[in-house]
Amino acid sequence: MSSILVPDPVVRVQNLGKVYGPFDAATIDRTGSKIGTARDSTSGSIVAAWDVSFDVQPGEALGIVGESGSGKSTVLRCIAGDVSPTTGDIRLANVEDGKVNILDYDAAQRRRLRIDQLSVVYQDPAEGLALGITAGGNIADPLTAAGWRNYSAIRTRAMELLQRTDVPIDRMDDLVRTFSGGMRQRVQIARALANNPGVILLDEPTTGLDASVASGVLDLIRSLLEELNIAAIVVSHDFRVIEMLTERCLVMHHGRIVENTLTDQLLEDPQHPYSQKLIAAART
Amino acid sequence: MTTLVSQFIAQEELTQTVLDEESKREIRRALLHAVCIPGYQVPFGSREMPVARGWGSGGLQITLAVIGENDTVKVIDQGDDEGVNAVNLRRLVTSSTGCEETTEVCEATVIQSRHRIPEDVLTDEHILVLQVPVPEPLRGIERDMRELSRMHAESDYSRMWVSLYEDKVRNGVITQTTGYPCLVNERYVIATTPIPRWDIPRLHNAEFLTLFGAGREKRVYAIPPHTIVEPLTFEDIPFEIEQNEGTQCRLCGSNTSFLVQSPSQEDNWACSDTAWCRARRTQ
Amino acid sequence: MESGLCDATLLQVKNVNKSFTLHNIDGRNIHVLHDINFVINAGEHVALAGTSGAGKSTLLRILFQTYSSTSGTILFKLSSGDWVDLTQLSDSEIVALRGREIGYVSQFLRAQPRRSVIDLVTRSGIARGMNNDSARELAQLTLEKLHIAQSLWEVHTSVLSGGEKQRVNIAAGLISPPRLLLLDEPISALDPENRALALELIQELSQSGVAVLAVFHDLDAIEQVSDRIIAMEHGRIVQEGPTKTLLPLLRKGYIDA
Repeated sequence: MSSILVPDPVVRVQNLGKVYGPFDAATIDRTGSKIGTARDSTSGSIVAAWDVSFDVQPGEALGIVGESGSGKSTVLRCIAGDVSPTTGDIRLANVEDGKVNILDYDAAQRRRLRIDQLSVVYQDPAEGLALGITAGGNIADPLTAAGWRNYSAIRTRAMELLQRTDVPIDRMDDLVRTFSGGMRQRVQIARALANNPGVILLDEPTTGLDASVASGVLDLIRSLLEELNIAAIVVSHDFRVIEMLTERCLVMHHGRIVENTLTDQLLEDPQHPYSQKLIAAART
Repeated sequence: MTTLVSQFIAQEELTQTVLDEESKREIRRALLHAVCIPGYQVPFGSREMPVARGWGSGGLQITLAVIGENDTVKVIDQGDDEGVNAVNLRRLVTSSTGCEETTEVCEATVIQSRHRIPEDVLTDEHILVLQVPVPEPLRGIERDMRELSRMHAESDYSRMWVSLYEDKVRNGVITQTTGYPCLVNERYVIATTPIPRWDIPRLHNAEFLTLFGAGREKRVYAIPPHTIVEPLTFEDIPFEIEQNEGTQCRLCGSNTSFLVQSPSQEDNWACSDTAWCRARRTQ
Repeated sequence: MESGLCDATLLQVKNVNKSFTLHNIDGRNIHVLHDINFVINAGEHVALAGTSGAGKSTLLRILFQTYSSTSGTILFKLSSGDWVDLTQLSDSEIVALRGREIGYVSQFLRAQPRRSVIDLVTRSGIARGMNNDSARELAQLTLEKLHIAQSLWEVHTSVLSGGEKQRVNIAAGLISPPRLLLLDEPISALDPENRALALELIQELSQSGVAVLAVFHDLDAIEQVSDRIIAMEHGRIVQEGPTKTLLPLLRKGYIDA
């Protein structure tokens, strides 16, 4: 009966799972939120994530929240291609019209997706940047990988992006190694946006930054997400980040999704016992 | 009697195995691969040569593999046939294969060179063999062999482009002089070491076959005739060859050839290609 | 004027209940709303009255889906004319509705990035479907109407006073208004002069067909802008009727409100 126009998702994840070690159906049953562990005591295998399914609409930011060990980073890394999942189906609307499971791609194809379809902003900027080259050079990297061959155009685009992420242009030719943590994170964000990807993954984007610096970076991310109509997945254990950046979010616990709801509903009316515990702890 | 036999054997050995026939065949097989995949570095079993590694052992192996009795070899070092190394190499080739030798391009069929392509026009009758110390163009950027392999396999040269970008940012120009990286057949990036920029345009769509040999690194690669060879540069930064503004050769007066400076002379620019210069003077 | 179903009806709340299950405190259930039933029509301004704890804010939050209801249906008529049950929609559908069709203005400025006043109000207009330039223009007009000085427009909302924040909130809530607007004590921190301005703007909404459901603790405000009052007590609706009829009763305390 609903005729509300919700656009087709940009990212569709179905039944994503990652298990370390041998497993069978019983292993899965012996782990999870209700059991209270991701580790199967019988086999020693770890069910880092199981049965994870969700969609992300264009222009939407979806949060994945949970404590460490919840599986949230595992999920992000599986989508990014940094980790090979055990099972699952991930489709991107801009890749063959969403008709192909990108987990069937080989490593080289997955790497190519990272050039202009899917970007990642890591918690540690050193993971997403080359510290020994300039800020501009770090942005030139994805541009040249996408085929840019005009030096002026590359520099213009790099300047645009650095400006947009509030990095002083006069530092464009400085080595990233000389930048502070917050500034490095901004360069990482600029680089992630270089080729206008349809999807951006953010893994604890402000964790480890000083509070005032973090809040500036969060502002930036929030305004970029609004402006660019990009689909984002934000992984964080910090509810302020989730609250500021996302409209919907998932709660993960011992590798499983325990709640999938509107962000404001999670914060004000959590349903699952574990979610209630998390929210209560965050409020104190 | 024993003395005569041992003398006879010694003589035979002298005229023989710098490189045995089986080895030559293996190298030719590697070269065939190289020609079929222009710009791709083909590994080969590099043999011990009577020249030290780093002194042209790779180039020598290629020359010995492709040359026969009916060929004529020319060997130059920095454009000069009479340099010590060039002389040494030429003697090794002629004595072990029985081929002819020359300093004239038009008489040669195989030309082995360090550092230059001869000024004379090379035709489809010529094979140019270049000595290469470092065959890997990405060497300054990546050390890990598997990653290098992957980058070439996936045509993922973005880090090379970034290093060109950084070069330009840091120095205002792309500073690489010899060994300028080029894209061959729109697919593989090669190190063109050891020739200067001046000679790079000669590689593009050439009539002749160019073979590159790196003995120490155990690689060969090739540019077949009529192959696209493009020096890597940004669209808006034209590839420039060395300019010798206002200079000319003090011996033959040429200002259209590649000139080098001799430290001992005052008016010291002269043609790098000595044979070409001499030929001009004797006309 | 008893409001029954008619062509202009755009919200039907039927048998809505809400309880909170506190899993981490012995799993107890706290039943906060009991069997709520009412309708709202386009262009109507309905006031929710009652003592604190009566469930007024809870009800507003349920309509906006910040709280989930425990049972019951909430039927909303889309601009297309189709009816949807808010309790059955997917999260993404709710997000889409919130952008365009249902708005919520609370007392508090929700966690916003350090955004300038003008940007915040403009953004709200854009979210409701306006283009950048029109949104900005309208934002300026709205801020002017609420007497927010131009000197404050480029200022970050975090440095505003409570009253200023509330007026900015109202501006953001009212710009290019959605078809159903939920207001939760929107003017509580305003001085009399600004309160009057805000109420004027809220009054004008009915003329453009916006349906408003508002919580005011100030009975004068209710008198000024509301057509109808729904009185609540202990999570139930105890009385419902035209403002003219019920307001005197409220004033005298005949209905605990």
